[in-house]
Amino acid sequence: MTSPSATAPDTRPLGSAAAGTPSGTRRGTEFEGTVTVLARQAVADDVVSLELAASSGEPLPVWQPGAHIDVVLPTGATRQYSLCGPVGDTAHWRVAVLREPDGRGGSQWIHDHVEEGGELRVRGPRNNFPLRPATRYLFVGGGIGITPLLPMIAEADAAMAEWSLLYGGRTRSSMAFLPELEGHGERVAVRPQDEHGLLDLAGFLGDPDPSTLVYCCGPAGLIDAVEAHCADWPTGALNIERFAAAAVRQPADDTAEQPIEVELRASGTTVTVPPGLSVLKAVEQAGVPVLSSCEEGICGSCETSVLEGEVDHRDSLLTEDERAANDTMLICVSRARGGRLVLDL
Amino acid sequence: MTLTQHVRNGWYLGAWSDEIGRTLKQRWITDIPVCFYRLPDQTVTAVEDRCPHRKYPLSLGHLDDDGTLQCDYHGYRFDGQGVCVGVAEQADRPKAALRRFPLVERDGAIWIWPGDPELADESLLPDTSWLTDPNWTHVHGVVPLKARHMLLLENLLDLTHETFLHPTSIGNAAVAATPIDVTVDGDRVGFSRRMIGIEAPPFYEKSCGLTSPVDRWQDGDFYPPGIFVLNIRVAATGTEEPDGFHMKVLYGMTPGRGNETHDFYALGRDYLIDDQELTKFQHEQQLAVMQEDVDALEAQEIMYATDPGGTAESSIKSDLAALRGRRAVAKMLAREQRAQQDARIPHSRASV
Ligand code: FES
Ligand code: FES
Ligand SMILES: [Fe+2]
Repeated sequence: MTSPSATAPDTRPLGSAAAGTPSGTRRGTEFEGTVTVLARQAVADDVVSLELAASSGEPLPVWQPGAHIDVVLPTGATRQYSLCGPVGDTAHWRVAVLREPDGRGGSQWIHDHVEEGGELRVRGPRNNFPLRPATRYLFVGGGIGITPLLPMIAEADAAMAEWSLLYGGRTRSSMAFLPELEGHGERVAVRPQDEHGLLDLAGFLGDPDPSTLVYCCGPAGLIDAVEAHCADWPTGALNIERFAAAAVRQPADDTAEQPIEVELRASGTTVTVPPGLSVLKAVEQAGVPVLSSCEEGICGSCETSVLEGEVDHRDSLLTEDERAANDTMLICVSRARGGRLVLDL
Repeated sequence: MTLTQHVRNGWYLGAWSDEIGRTLKQRWITDIPVCFYRLPDQTVTAVEDRCPHRKYPLSLGHLDDDGTLQCDYHGYRFDGQGVCVGVAEQADRPKAALRRFPLVERDGAIWIWPGDPELADESLLPDTSWLTDPNWTHVHGVVPLKARHMLLLENLLDLTHETFLHPTSIGNAAVAATPIDVTVDGDRVGFSRRMIGIEAPPFYEKSCGLTSPVDRWQDGDFYPPGIFVLNIRVAATGTEEPDGFHMKVLYGMTPGRGNETHDFYALGRDYLIDDQELTKFQHEQQLAVMQEDVDALEAQEIMYATDPGGTAESSIKSDLAALRGRRAVAKMLAREQRAQQDARIPHSRASV
């Protein structure tokens, strides 16, 4: 799944059309209705692309790079997916969906139930991540965050702007749309982490340049890093789109994506903490009382003694010495490096 | 005795030099009553203000010209080392001595170490040479505060409150809007806030004659448990160090009795040092600002005191220095309490 923006809430106000209206209705340039899945194709590990057309056969509204649509799940919940097909194609829309085993179930449902010929309810398009005119662009995509960048690249190319793309992912096979990007040659740097390590953002972004706009979409860790690198760039130069609640759902580094085993020695129990769930929450769910307040790693309320295991500290409060001592952690945000922790709880 | 709630193994500002003479002055420090006085050779002395006989405050007694201290309840007499030298009622000398505290008198300040004398280490004191530097001038004093030491500490380590609590003097929107860098060095916590090209707050407009925009630096250093030094620089935007106006504020946050704190301050500057008008103005402003803090902290104290272990606090990023400061003090206290529990024999009251 991809790219609800930082500003887009998970559920958008419904249009006037009642859910279940068989054909599409329009409010301004927005469409709300049923689309048919013309094609479903695996484009990377756990990523499918879907080609959609209005079930009524009518043309779809035009959209601009960066736009997304809402897919309305049978539960009534919505998920946002960036449009990633050719701009100007009013017959088809393309979205790409990453299966997230620990997401809130939306992507799983799509992976498991949506087939060619099937139907989906959608709304949109909307654009919270518009591409502004510039003579030079730097695009940074992480994982499924490549999707809104694809039409941006096409647009930049058509406008004969100078551009380059830095595309990161865990492994090459997890990175969608590599064949389409190949044609751009040197302008595209494909950098799977298992082959290249962390992205060389400093090298890619270079010094602040008033004529360049930076567009970044990807997991929170990547966006945070790009934000840090662009701190000295002119205001407005950096444009980002975050995954919803990405901080826990799509961490930038590999270790975070592993579930961790946490033994609560004093309680005599062990809990498994899946990616996306904090140790704090897992401990609470196991019925072990623990204090917390900010749940952001600032206040220190949830500080817990560590008996065994190496902590992956992600809080803001502990000092370097305290981190290095590895005997305490803020369990609302921090995790484990080795997949296992023993806590004094 | 129950375990102290105050760190005692640390230097606190006990008194300004000019407060202590050949009279007896009582001041509670970390829940210990302390009696300060000077011996005939002017060396400053601090003893526990409880007579070993029946605990009458020695500060209600009197000091002879030769430095002998007499308890005015039953007449125990103590020499300059705090050793009992006799009592009128009998010929034999009672075997008693006063507990004397390690002191350092330097640059017009008297520092006291209320805890284990063995651990008193002068190198833990901050540099205070600016208090006597001929190129600097300063004003100083002490303000009583009916609020716990920690509230004062957090007040000083989170100066975003200047924006809201001191808007007519030293605060403006820039303070709260400018994030700090926080550094930790052992137990010490430092922060630095660099405000560049901001509007001059009223106090600096008046006292430095600066017009906006200005660059304003606030670099704070907390020497736990009770000393805070704020380094201030204000200059026309773009002016390079060392040009500009420099000020320092030293705060001695000394726990008194219960949840009361002595709020010692010294405010120094390196410009127009002979301008008495300016000195007067700055002193008035300093006291006015401190009064705003005192009022706020006393109101806050009531809320903390009536909500023991109660509702959780919410914290934000700008609390980081204050939270680190809190942790530093909590750790010192824990270390001290562990040491007290480990010690088989209580500290002797013998003279040092
Ligand atoms: S709850 Fe605040 S640091 Fe964990
Ligand atoms: S109490 Fe001091 S002499 Fe009796
Ligand atoms: Fe204040």
